[in-house]
Amino acid sequence: MNVRVVGCSHHGTPIELRERLAFGREETAEALDHWRRVFRNVEAVLLSTCNRVEVYAAGAAELPGGEQVAGFLARFHKLEPAELLPHLYAYDGPTAVRHLFNVAASLDSMVLGEPQILAQVKQAYQAATERDATGPLLHAAFQAATRVARRVATETAIHQHRVSVPSVAVADFARGVFERFDDKQTLVIGAGEMAEETLRYLRDEGAREITVVNRHFERGEALARTWQGRARPWEELLEALTAADLVIGTTAAGKAVVTLEDFRRVEASRRQRPLVILDLAVPRDFEAAIGGRPDVYLYSVDDLEAACRRNQAQRDKELPAARAIIEQETGRFMAELYRRASGPVIQQLKDGWQKPKEQELQRLLARLPGLDQRAQDEIRLAFDRLLGKLLHPPLESLRDESRNGIPHGLLDALSRLFRLKD
Amino acid sequence: MLAGVHIICFAASYSIVLVLEISRLVFRSGVRGAVMLAFAGAGWIAHTAFLYYRASSLLSSSQDWYLLAAWVLVLIYLYLTWFHPKQHFGVFLLPLVLGLVATARWFADPQPLAREPVSQTWGIVHAVSILLATVSVLVGFAAGIMYLSQVRRLKGKRTLLAPLRLPSLEWLERASGRAVVVSTLMMGVGLVSGILLNVINYRRHDPVLPWNDPVVLATLGMFTWLLAAAVFGGVYRPARRGRKVAYLTVASFVFLVIVLGMVLFIRTQHGRPRTAEPRATSFSILHPSSFILHPSSFILHPSSFP
Repeated sequence: MNVRVVGCSHHGTPIELRERLAFGREETAEALDHWRRVFRNVEAVLLSTCNRVEVYAAGAAELPGGEQVAGFLARFHKLEPAELLPHLYAYDGPTAVRHLFNVAASLDSMVLGEPQILAQVKQAYQAATERDATGPLLHAAFQAATRVARRVATETAIHQHRVSVPSVAVADFARGVFERFDDKQTLVIGAGEMAEETLRYLRDEGAREITVVNRHFERGEALARTWQGRARPWEELLEALTAADLVIGTTAAGKAVVTLEDFRRVEASRRQRPLVILDLAVPRDFEAAIGGRPDVYLYSVDDLEAACRRNQAQRDKELPAARAIIEQETGRFMAELYRRASGPVIQQLKDGWQKPKEQELQRLLARLPGLDQRAQDEIRLAFDRLLGKLLHPPLESLRDESRNGIPHGLLDALSRLFRLKD
Repeated sequence: MLAGVHIICFAASYSIVLVLEISRLVFRSGVRGAVMLAFAGAGWIAHTAFLYYRASSLLSSSQDWYLLAAWVLVLIYLYLTWFHPKQHFGVFLLPLVLGLVATARWFADPQPLAREPVSQTWGIVHAVSILLATVSVLVGFAAGIMYLSQVRRLKGKRTLLAPLRLPSLEWLERASGRAVVVSTLMMGVGLVSGILLNVINYRRHDPVLPWNDPVVLATLGMFTWLLAAAVFGGVYRPARRGRKVAYLTVASFVFLVIVLGMVLFIRTQHGRPRTAEPRATSFSILHPSSFILHPSSFILHPSSFP
């Protein structure tokens, strides 16, 4: 009974090879069907993301080794196994389980704590279950992985610290000012790449009213069309600023497009509504002094990057606590796995002693016909207690041995001593 | 068993919850939220039991009044924590709760207040409306302080995940604004019911509260302040925005503390047995002018509970 993972990841495999090894949804199903034909009685889950391709295998029988899995992957993708083999890693037993938990909890991700990986792990497990490729071991392992990932998310702040500029801008700053975005006016100045990324986050948060002001009206119009917003000519910038609640500056103007003097002109007509300015342009689109005005919350790209760095440092600080959870859960899972491996022998041992006990009990009761029910119950109880005491030392030894691995020697000895069948 | 509940039981529960709330600023825990709610819930049940077993004479003393205000505030805390578990409301609300409980325990008079032969209905209306006005002012104050903390953080470019987690400015502004409106309305109802109580007393030839009682004057000042703020906010939209509302709630809180302090520490006839005084012939409470010169019933504290 063992668990093994064979795969490659962003840690040591170039993206070109990862791309060639990646499995789409239909390919995953096809590969799992193929796996079941090739490796009978070996459970499998195929995890394929942009950063990793891994095969998790488990079973009571001998598991396919790294070379066999490499061959399987290479054949499927029409690659040479030799090309693949140097990039693959293979972990067994507790190391494999620990790796799965690390992956699910996003401790092995390129961006530590990124939240998508858990959903991808769940999808991989779901796909394997649908193809009937999973069994009791991988069911237990992947369900435990989900639980461990949630535990890490709850007990540490590793997932909460965003590390990309647009996500920090929206979730950590704009969200601090506004409760909702669907009734807010978003103004995009310029049509830079950053604007698109930030708008994606804002749209997820519910932003609907988007206005784009760009020097080249056509480009602004194209961006506005993408986000179902509207474009306004450059000359109407200050007018648009009056109506805006949230502004994203992304021009490549080379100097501030809104000066403090400009802002003072629109300030009165804004009637002190809060204004969040995400100035993602370099050089900046807004004069820094505007941030000093009441009810204006101005964040430059430097501010946002500094926040990202602080968040990344916070994530790193959470790492030891997350690792401790993984260690604890790995130990717990493996102990359960080993206990499960000893289960059939324990059951056989108990069952094997029950029969002679019952025979002797019946013989004794038949020879003592005058006993009342209470006396019979007492004798029955005494037999049960005697059996329990006799079985206790070997079972306890078995449990003790199971803590560090499957006690093959002891199981074998017990089977032979008590003539237990397989 | 619950009949034996003492103030210290629920005060201890609330103190533990406050410590747990503060510990959220320092480290994370998966079970703390549930433990906090359990302690707060247990404290609130004990608090309810304490008030219930005094039901025969509930709100008959200054002490009861403070405890009931704390009880309502805890209920608000439980509601907010249940529906917004990630926000640190407790750090701001629980000190107010403990302040009310501590005042009830050490400063407020447990002796029954003056039982004047007045309309019971108006007495209850007066007591409850003033109590709700007080709670609204306290909630508004907490929201105002949270608003100012959040502004400071956002201006300082610190992320929302900095240890103290607060709702958005928009949410806090709305909460503060509503607290101002509710406290003004409740204070208005409390004042009108107080006037009616005094009118009834006058007609029955019972003692009335003098118009120049310090509590009356302070309460009138506070109501005028709240009313002016609410009217100004209604007429001039920017006044309802941002830091103005927050400062308004803080100022209201200061007024409240002054008025409550007067009730507790300054010589006042408010809430104390009064002897009949000879009535001024020229400024009778029933005379129209008396509402200007003799606002004897402007009562903040529920002195006239039946």
